[in-house]
Amino acid sequence: MNFERIFYIMLSNSAPIILCVLGGNYAHKANVLNISLEGMMLVGAFASVFFVSVTESLLVGALVGIIITLVFGLIFAFMCVTQKGNPIIIGLAINLLAFSITAFLLKVLNTANLNVNNIVDVAGLKINIPLIKDIPFIGQIVSGHPLVTYISFIGIFIMWVIMYKTKFGIYVRVVGENEDAAYSVGINVNKIKYIAILIGAFCSALAGINLALEKMALFTNGMTAGIGFIALAAIFCGRGRPGLSSLYAILFGLAQSLSVNLNISAGPVSGLFKTLPYFVIVIILSVASIIQNKNNRMRGFKNE
Amino acid sequence: MKKGKMFLLDIFNSLLPVLSAFGIGAIIIILIGGNPLTTYSIMFSKTLFNWNGFLKTLHFASPLILTGLAIAITFKANIFNMGVEGQLLVGGFFACVVGFYFEGLNPVVHVILGLLTGITCGMVFAFIPAILKAYFKVNEIVVTLMLNYAVIEILRILTQTIYRDPTSGYVSTPAVASSAMFYRIGGTRLTLFFPLTIIVFVIMYIIFKKSRLGYEVTAVGKNPEFAEASGMNIKRKIIYIMLISGALSGLAGAGYMFSEKFKYTLDFSGNPGLGWDGMLIALLGRHSPIGIIIAAIFYSALKTGGDIINIFTNVPKESVGVIQGLIILFISIRFINQNTKLFGNTMARFSTTKKKKNEEVQK
Repeated sequence: MNFERIFYIMLSNSAPIILCVLGGNYAHKANVLNISLEGMMLVGAFASVFFVSVTESLLVGALVGIIITLVFGLIFAFMCVTQKGNPIIIGLAINLLAFSITAFLLKVLNTANLNVNNIVDVAGLKINIPLIKDIPFIGQIVSGHPLVTYISFIGIFIMWVIMYKTKFGIYVRVVGENEDAAYSVGINVNKIKYIAILIGAFCSALAGINLALEKMALFTNGMTAGIGFIALAAIFCGRGRPGLSSLYAILFGLAQSLSVNLNISAGPVSGLFKTLPYFVIVIILSVASIIQNKNNRMRGFKNE
Repeated sequence: MKKGKMFLLDIFNSLLPVLSAFGIGAIIIILIGGNPLTTYSIMFSKTLFNWNGFLKTLHFASPLILTGLAIAITFKANIFNMGVEGQLLVGGFFACVVGFYFEGLNPVVHVILGLLTGITCGMVFAFIPAILKAYFKVNEIVVTLMLNYAVIEILRILTQTIYRDPTSGYVSTPAVASSAMFYRIGGTRLTLFFPLTIIVFVIMYIIFKKSRLGYEVTAVGKNPEFAEASGMNIKRKIIYIMLISGALSGLAGAGYMFSEKFKYTLDFSGNPGLGWDGMLIALLGRHSPIGIIIAAIFYSALKTGGDIINIFTNVPKESVGVIQGLIILFISIRFINQNTKLFGNTMARFSTTKKKKNEEVQK
């Protein structure tokens, strides 16, 4: 078995999950259940690939992709914060909209998938870090990822700093802890929630760009395949802490990587390994919940 | 008087999102060079105002009524069963296996056997998130969504390997035996599945309006802590609700299999699937039983209409999915405020309970 390859794919697969986790953490901490990370990632993936094919410029495509995803984030925030709708239903709607709009547009464009291979050179986007790439074993794993993958791992630290060392981070946590208290000390609750949701949208857009544009230069229908929900599970397991939930994200990346690699070596039932990540998540989430509730001596049943 | 106003408000709050979604849909249709008026008129004249078309609409509404019910029941208890889609697929698949495995059975026995298999499979599959939710407080949304992805993959493998029909040109299971097919009423598209759906619907209505279980479920949904304090066994209620939801989804899948599809293909439930359509129907029906039936028929018209505009106009049927998403998005907020002067201000207290509920969901 090729361990270098397994760990390389692990890092590569973790990147979009980590990005979603980092973005989703803020909404989670601000007490907004954002299940639309999946849809926003799909929008980011589609918009970036589509505008790269239109403008033939990688940067412009990525930027427009981010902006369009932010618009979806704004819709979510407006519906959820200003209009006080049920966030689960709105998130569901955004997911469904993202899926059907992209499918609809692919149909209108009359293609099965958007391919920008002729504009984007996938191999050329991989960055080989000098010095590190020469270290045996580790160099093979750490080096040679596209830019956004590196951003995602640096992002863990940045998001940790923002969450725990800045005024904004404290405000977010106060809003999540007790909205009325935050209101009474003069924090603009709605503004904080808006920003928290928009950070989620921004990170999801990056995840979509990483997934579609950087790694494959291709968009296919429903290509996110539940990564947004995997990220949601990681957020629940890590209780909204950037470091811990990213760790879970990497774990899920490992499960995916194993499923890809076992797929190659196994015979006819290889497809079964594709279900591995999903089961791993259910098991981990259950174990995490059991541990969290083990010392709970509170009487009565609380919903969540 | 109060009830009348609330009823009006509910109707407006269901109608306005639909109209707005169709409005935006019209803009999209214009943008891709179609004519929204002819598109919509073709869509509805051939599905609602044409006898055979209407029967076809009712036929496709049957599984939708069941999935809508399956989701509305869990919403009532403030549980979000996103696994209706997966439960439906499992139910449909194994009903299909029963359908083609046995041959020469009495049709009545065969159909009932298949439906029971579907129901059982749906319940077993719903039991996993139910027990995790009730005893370990695992978030049911994530578990059900993940299991959906897993089950789609597993069923795909089963269809491609063990249960593949080698004579078929594409990936599918063998067709069910003719004894497992629902009887068609008077040579139309409508099968006995539709009356069966209505019977199940009435039973559910009686259970949830008149029985102790129905009352307790409502209590759990409104305030779980109070329900627990007054002596209800919440854990057991959660499991009951999920099992009922799973059974309805499984029945929907099995019935859809025996009345329409007859074999399991990879796009058995369509895209977005029947389970997700059920979500829209439960929301559109505002959790009221009659509302669910009307919403299911309306949505069935929209869906079958999607296929029709695909043939008669240059508007692709994927546009229906966009409209569906827009409806759900708009329905999540109340267009007309409870404190509106339009019908008087009777519902102010509802807004506070709803807000509290939202807060509890997020905690």
